[in-house]
Parts: sequence; structure tokens; C-alpha cells
Amino acid sequence: MSEKPEPETRFLCPYCSCPVEGFEALKIHVLAEHQTEPVPEAEGLINLIVNGNSYKFLVEPEWTLYQLIHDQLGLTGTKQFCDRGACGSCTVIMNHRAILSCMTLAIECDGAFIETVEGVAVSHPKLIEKYAEHHAMQCGYCTPGFVVTAKALLDKIPNPTDQEIRGALAGNLCRCGTYPQHPIAVQEFIKERNGQDNV
Amino acid sequence: MDKIMSEEFSRMKEMFDNLRADKYPHKTYCHIGKQGPRRLDGLLKASGRADYTMDIQLPGMLHMRFLTSPYPHAKIIRMNTTRAQAFPGVRAILRYDDIELPETADLGGHVSHEEIVLPGIAYFQGQECGAAIAADTEDIAEQALRLIDIEWELHPFVLEAEESLKPGAPLANPELFSWGNHYNELLLGEAFTDIKKGDIEKDFAEADQVVEFRSERRLHTWIGPERPCGVFRWNKDCPEVWVKQQRPHIAKRVISSWFGIPMNKILIHCLYQGASFGGWSQVNWNFGGHYCAAVLAKRTGRPVKWTFTRREDFFGGEMDEGAYYLKVGAKKDGAITAVEGRAVLANQQWPVFHFLHHLVENTRIPNIYGKMLTVMTNKGPNVPCRCEQNANTHTQTLVFDHIANALKLDPTEVALKNDGAFGHDMTWLNQQKEERGFEVRDSLKECIEKGKAAIDWDKKWHPPGTKILPNGRLHGMAFTWAHEWDDSGGSSEIAIRIERNDGTASILGMGCDNGVDAENAYCRIAADELGMKLEDVFYNPQIDPGFFRMTPDSSSNMSINGFAVRHAARILKQQILEAAAGPVAQTQRGSFPPFFPEAKAADLDIKDSMICLKKDPSIRISLAEFVGPSRGAGPMADNENLGERTAFSAPLFAYGYHVQAGTYNPQHVYTKFCRQAHFMEVEVDPEIGEVIVTKVVNVNDVGKAINPSSCHGQQYGGTYMAVGRGLTEEVIYDPVTGVMLNGNLLDYKIATILDIDGPIDTILVETGMGYGPYGVVGIGEDIATVVPALVGPAIYNAIGVWIDDFPITPDRILKALNKL
Repeated sequence: MSEKPEPETRFLCPYCSCPVEGFEALKIHVLAEHQTEPVPEAEGLINLIVNGNSYKFLVEPEWTLYQLIHDQLGLTGTKQFCDRGACGSCTVIMNHRAILSCMTLAIECDGAFIETVEGVAVSHPKLIEKYAEHHAMQCGYCTPGFVVTAKALLDKIPNPTDQEIRGALAGNLCRCGTYPQHPIAVQEFIKERNGQDNV
Repeated sequence: MDKIMSEEFSRMKEMFDNLRADKYPHKTYCHIGKQGPRRLDGLLKASGRADYTMDIQLPGMLHMRFLTSPYPHAKIIRMNTTRAQAFPGVRAILRYDDIELPETADLGGHVSHEEIVLPGIAYFQGQECGAAIAADTEDIAEQALRLIDIEWELHPFVLEAEESLKPGAPLANPELFSWGNHYNELLLGEAFTDIKKGDIEKDFAEADQVVEFRSERRLHTWIGPERPCGVFRWNKDCPEVWVKQQRPHIAKRVISSWFGIPMNKILIHCLYQGASFGGWSQVNWNFGGHYCAAVLAKRTGRPVKWTFTRREDFFGGEMDEGAYYLKVGAKKDGAITAVEGRAVLANQQWPVFHFLHHLVENTRIPNIYGKMLTVMTNKGPNVPCRCEQNANTHTQTLVFDHIANALKLDPTEVALKNDGAFGHDMTWLNQQKEERGFEVRDSLKECIEKGKAAIDWDKKWHPPGTKILPNGRLHGMAFTWAHEWDDSGGSSEIAIRIERNDGTASILGMGCDNGVDAENAYCRIAADELGMKLEDVFYNPQIDPGFFRMTPDSSSNMSINGFAVRHAARILKQQILEAAAGPVAQTQRGSFPPFFPEAKAADLDIKDSMICLKKDPSIRISLAEFVGPSRGAGPMADNENLGERTAFSAPLFAYGYHVQAGTYNPQHVYTKFCRQAHFMEVEVDPEIGEVIVTKVVNVNDVGKAINPSSCHGQQYGGTYMAVGRGLTEEVIYDPVTGVMLNGNLLDYKIATILDIDGPIDTILVETGMGYGPYGVVGIGEDIATVVPALVGPAIYNAIGVWIDDFPITPDRILKALNKL
């Protein structure tokens, strides 16, 4: 004996009050008859992929990407030092480019692929180790910004010269003055990585 | 056991206020002074997992922001907060006239100090005053602040130190200083009694060469990467507080004083610190934010986080702001006969240190006369940034380089000629070294020799304005020097505990971790003294075990906390050895035999975290086995219910402490033996006035480097800060409105990685002539303070014209070259 199928819920179209059986059919009806998105997305809803995980966020228009990442996502490795695009501490990689998250509005980032320092720590643990080994930090507040900038450079130029590293990091401020250690840490990472590549 | 432990206790007391060589070092060390391994905090910080106060978010947390004054000197006549209160998302507003606010309260700072919590008068543009708003977000609080209607009464203001002394100058703070802006005068010899009062004219008449000059150091400031902030939560009646503070012990004391809460009910979190370099942590009212947050947290029943914006962290600065007038006389051979100086310095929060005092402590110059006036202007408090002795290092560099150049002598020779202390020459100083038990070494000579070799001084140094490079730039070189200084003194309580189960050691003592990797150094001392592996010793200074160690956690940390750790480790080691040799425990049902039944404590040692017999180290037991595992029935192994008895040991815990009076005590002036020498090479572009620093050599006699990587870090790090200070850092005010024009990091320029275009050689000299354990002296305050003025003589050596107006920006160079 075959089971009797559940009857579909009957809906009334919100535009023309025409009765339609089932929600899927209603969506098709609205699109066909009224040429409008049947389930409109809320204003301010953005999709993001952060460190390989996808997220949907309802953002206020004035939120910066930094606020979204640090305050909402709780990825606190992205730091705010100058709050004006002058220091590089809030650097994240967006669509393969190092950008300043304090100068980027979250609402403009719909569909973006974002990598924060937490993601770099997973994809490049050896880079983190080299930073620690060569004391490329003191108070450490600006360090994640340097690490992310260095990673973005390595994505673009796998074997940069010291001058290229210094050039890439020139937008990152470190008040403790740890600067000389950064090219060392990055070069030591490259040396080890290339050594492994040869093996 | 008691006897042996009391021996270390008596040593501990013997070392209080130590003014001699360390009598009890070891001959060799396993961990002290060795490079690597990596920093304790390195992986956390580089991976973004290190938490700072700014990162704290609590359920239901409100965000509090302060109203700041748009005027440099103004009083609130009327304030209406109705519109702000009605703004959606605003939860509470605290007004300056709130009945719950006391007239004054202890608001932290370096010493106990009564301040108005939320003032109704502002003495500089940007000062927090009038109101604080707690709202759902920082943005809402910010918007609501703009809805406060205020009627201000504008008062006249003055911005420059020398202007403020002129007759008829506006009073910068008539409530505090009704008689005028000049509020302090330090005459040399007043605070430090061994300066003779001589005949100035006669002293200069004896000189073969006299130079006179005026120099100016414009306002520069600290720029802590993490903005001033804090979080206050009430757990019933117990405050839980997150502080961005160099002195968490002050936090607890101060909070206790506000609401009559016992110390033991206050929970302090002092997370990683986005450094303040002294700076913010020294400001007298830096707990004002916490006070207001505490009141609003109570009213709303929610935790409150207060923050400053980056702009709001721009106020005041370092204590060297002002004008200096100097006259120096010397013999032909470079022996300085007299120095006379007058300085007018602005807004010093504690005008305690005479700007010529380094010349007293550091040289054989027989006649030094100085007058230092401190005046109030409408710019905010100037506090120690890296150190309050910037005014001294500024002066010493210029005094020595001006006179050496006037005499056409090598400045390194002039330095050596005048090295000494308190007007006495090196013979006297060497006698002091000997009397105090130090090996007699010539620290300055060693530093200079190493530095000269590193920069190739003898070959490259040249008369001023004589070397044009093929690229068209002018080449310059300069040298300066100073003594070291462990300036603040302080005290420290530190304990060490051996953990159950794995026998690892935890160092206990709350302090701020501002990134100098001091914790690593304490671990090295504890590991060496206990005979443990370095990885078995850990120190988390962020938790409050009831002990507080010395801060500011920079120059003075190692010489004070180092002693406390060492005493604790030595006492603890004795405890362990006594426990290992004695009966482990005796109960009414029987006793446990000792682990080493035939041995006395003196026959035992600890090596690589194993307790062993000295004569046969193969007979050994690991600390982990010795302390035993914990079980369900408590912290110690106890399987009696299963018919088995396991030995157990008493809790292994020891504490040490140290006190050291500082330089400011006139009865306790340190004679300092360690020196430092710094060399700089620059290229100056005469067309655009650009200065390119191409090489710096730092040579510091640190006595003994406990954690060498950390010392090098202070050298290159301090050099970068110094180059920024010397060349670009200046807080600029609009003279018409009194408003700060460059309170952001685009317009106030700190050094970037590209601002030194060449190597920084960092060289450590270890003469052991410090009063700290193992002969250490501090390094953290030295380089960033000594090197800024060095750009002056380096530029002089390049262009042949003195520019004594700091920072030496391109426009000042072009003016000096008559191109502007």
C-alpha cells in the first residue's frame, strides 16, 4: 500500500494574491509573473570566505572590514594601530592582494576571499617559526601585519631580494624598531622552503 | 634545611640596595648568556594569537568614550546631555558634575597622586573632560558625544616653553599655578650635593676654547601601538579589570582606594602590552578611564571597555621638550674645564632630573653649573618616554661634539679624556671599581675600540663639510657616548613553584609584558640556578599570584627582578635537595624512606631537571618522579585504598625579593662604571635636505647579557626609534588656535624600515661592572635616548653647519644651507 503524499501548503502570492501550491512553485510564479527576486537578500548581507571558511554577514554600511574581522569574527590577530591606513597592522590578504582592513568597508567585500594572520599561521607555520626564532617582534602588536604583508609578497614573488622585502614592508610601522629582523626571518623561511623543494 | 635556606635569606638581605660586585655568581652557566632558543611569546605574537587588552570582548560589554576639549584652554560653563542620552544605543552618560564622582581620586601614574577624575576645565586641546558615554558600540558613543551641547568659556593659552616665561604670558594652569607658568627650578648641586659652588668666570677664563650654543628639542611623543584602553567588570562586588599598564600592582592599589574594596577581591588581568615606552603608563591620571568605566559598569550592570582613539593618545610627550643654552670651556687637549647650562623645559610631570646630571655622573668635568626651569604650557603632560633622561643625553652629545669640533679633535679622544665621575678622573673611578669588588676595566675604551673598528672610524672620519660622495651627497660621521643607567630603582617579589606530575617550574610574579622578552631572561636565571632544562621553566607574568615584580619592566627590570628570581631559585633548590635527602614524610602509620637514603643535601645536585648524586650522577631521579603524580584524592599520589602507599613530597615553593633605591635618592647616588658608545654615518642631500642614515654602530656595556637576543633587540630597536626622533618626530600645534595639527601617524612620522638604509651593528661588551646579579646593568632606556641627538653632529660633519634644532627636518637643513 503506497503512502498518500503530504498535501503541499497553499500560498497566496504577495503581489497578485493568486493561490499557488508549495513554496518552490510560489518562487517560480513570482519570478515569472512579477519579474522580481522571490526571496530578496537583506540589504547589507555579504558573503565572505575567510581563511577557507565561508560566512554570511549582515553588515552596517559604516563597518570596516577590520571591525568585521576583529570584532564580529573574533579573529583578533588583525590589529588596529593607526586607524588611518598609515601603519599596516590591520593588513589582510583580499583576493591575493595585501590590503588595509581599517580602510576597507565591509559592505564592499561581498564575494571576497580573505586571508588573515590566523590563516597564514596555518598555511605557513614555518614562516611563523622563523619570526619567533629571529625575534622579529617585541611588543608584538604590529607583528601580524608584517607577517601577512610578507606572505602576500611571497605569493607574488616567491624569492624576493632583501630590497624587495624591505620595499614590501615599508608600509608597516613597528614602534619597537624590530625592522632589521624581518628580512632575516623571511629569507630564512625561503631558504628552508627552497631546501625542502630541492629534496 | 632551615640553616641552609637562611643562608640564602641572609645573602638576599645583604644584597638589598646592592652597590658592589655580585659576590655570589657561578663560574659557568648553561642558559644565562646563551643565544636562542626562540622567544616564549614569539609564536603567539607572530600568529596573531597573543591577546591584548584591546582584543577583549565580553558578553554585554559596553564601549565608553570620552568627550575631549576642542580648545587648548577652556572651561565648561554649561553642558546639556539630553540629546546624547536620547541617541539609540547610548546606555549611560557620566558627567563631570555627577554627584557620585569624588572631588579627587588616586588615578595611578608613577606615584600615588590625587587627580580630578573627570575635569570640567581642559588645559590642552584633546584633553578628556566633561563627559564619558557608554554605548553599545564605539561608533554610537562617538556619535552621541557630538550631540552634547556645551557652552565653553575660552581662556588664553600659551604653547611654547620660552614664551610662557615672558611677562604677561597667559597662565597655562591658573588653578594650579596662579603665580605664573614657571613651577619648578632645579639648580645643580641642590639635589646632588657633591657639586662644588665655584667661580664661573674664573673657570671659563682657564679654558683655551669656549663655545656657546642654543639648542631646541621640539615636542615628540610615545606612540604606543595599542591605544590606551581598559575593561572594567563587576562580578557582584568584586572588580575584574583588564589593564593596559606597565604597573599592574598600581592598578590593584588604586582601584582598592576608590571604593574601599579589599585588595584580595580585585582581579587584575595584565595581558600582552602593545607597549607604551613609559609614555601613557606614566601619566598621572591614566586610571581615569577605569574610574569612569567602573561607575558606568555599576550603573548599567554591564562590563565597560574604555578606549582612546589614536588621535586621543596624542598629547604631551617626552620630558626633553624645550630650549637649552650651553657654554663649554676646554683646554687644547680636550679636557673640559667648565660647563654652564640653562634650560627651559615644558610640562615635565616630575621635574626631578637635572638636564646636566649625566655630565656630573659621567665625567671628570670639574665645574658644572646648571639651572633648569620647568614651565607649564597648554600641551599636556610630558613624561618619561623610554626615559626621563633624554634631556641629559641630548645635552651630553651636543656638549661633547661641539667642543671636540671647535678644538678640531677626534670626539672619541675627547670622550676618553673626560671620562670619570662626579668631577673625578679615571684613577678615582678605577679605585671605586676596585673597592666595590669589580674587575677594573675601562668600559668606555673597550666600547670605543669595538665601535671604531666596526664603523672603520679612523679611516672614514673627516673634518666637517669636506667629503662629497660620487652621488653628490655630503658624507657625515659622528660619535657619542654615555654611561648606562639603571635609573629608577624598585622592588620585586617573585616566587617559583614546582608543579606536580611533571616537575616543571613556574615563576610567579605579576608584571607587564611589553615585549622586551624579560620573561625569557628570568627563565634562564631560574633554570641555571635550579639545574633545570630551560624548557622546564616557564613564566606567565599576566596572572596575579599576589606577587608583583618590578616595573617599568625595562632598564631596571633585570637588576632587580633578576635578584628576586635568583634568590627564589637558590632557596627552592635547597628545599628540593633537602627533601630528596630527608625522610619524605612521616605519618602516624609509618614513614617513607628518603629517595637518597645515604645522602645529605650537600651530596646532591640537580642537573637537566634530574636530582642526582654529585659523586655518581647516574644515580638520579627526575623532578617529575620526585614530586609524583596527582590522583583523584588530591594533589599528591595516594593509592592507599588499593593497598599501596606512594611516597609524597611537601609542596615545593620558594620566594625571593629585592629592593633597590634609585638614582633619585641623593644619599644613594650610584657611581656607574659601564659605558656605551654609538657611531653613525649619514649622507645628506644638499639639494632637498634629505638625510639618509647609512650605518649605525651601537656598543653597550651591559655588564653581563642574560638574554643576548633581547639586548640586541633594544639596540637596533632603540636606534630606529632614535632616528625617527632625531629626524622626523615633531608634534606640531597651530599657534593661532592651539590645536594639534598632526595627531596621526601619516603626519607625525615615526621611522619605517626604510629610514635606516644600511646595517645596524649591535655590539655587547660584558665587563660585569653592574650592581645587578651577575654584574648586569639595564639597556632598555639607553639607545633610544642617546642616539637621537647623534644625528646633529653627523649632519654637522656632513654639511659643516650646526643645526641644534631637533628634529632636524629637511627644511631646517635647507635653511642652514641658506637654500630656503
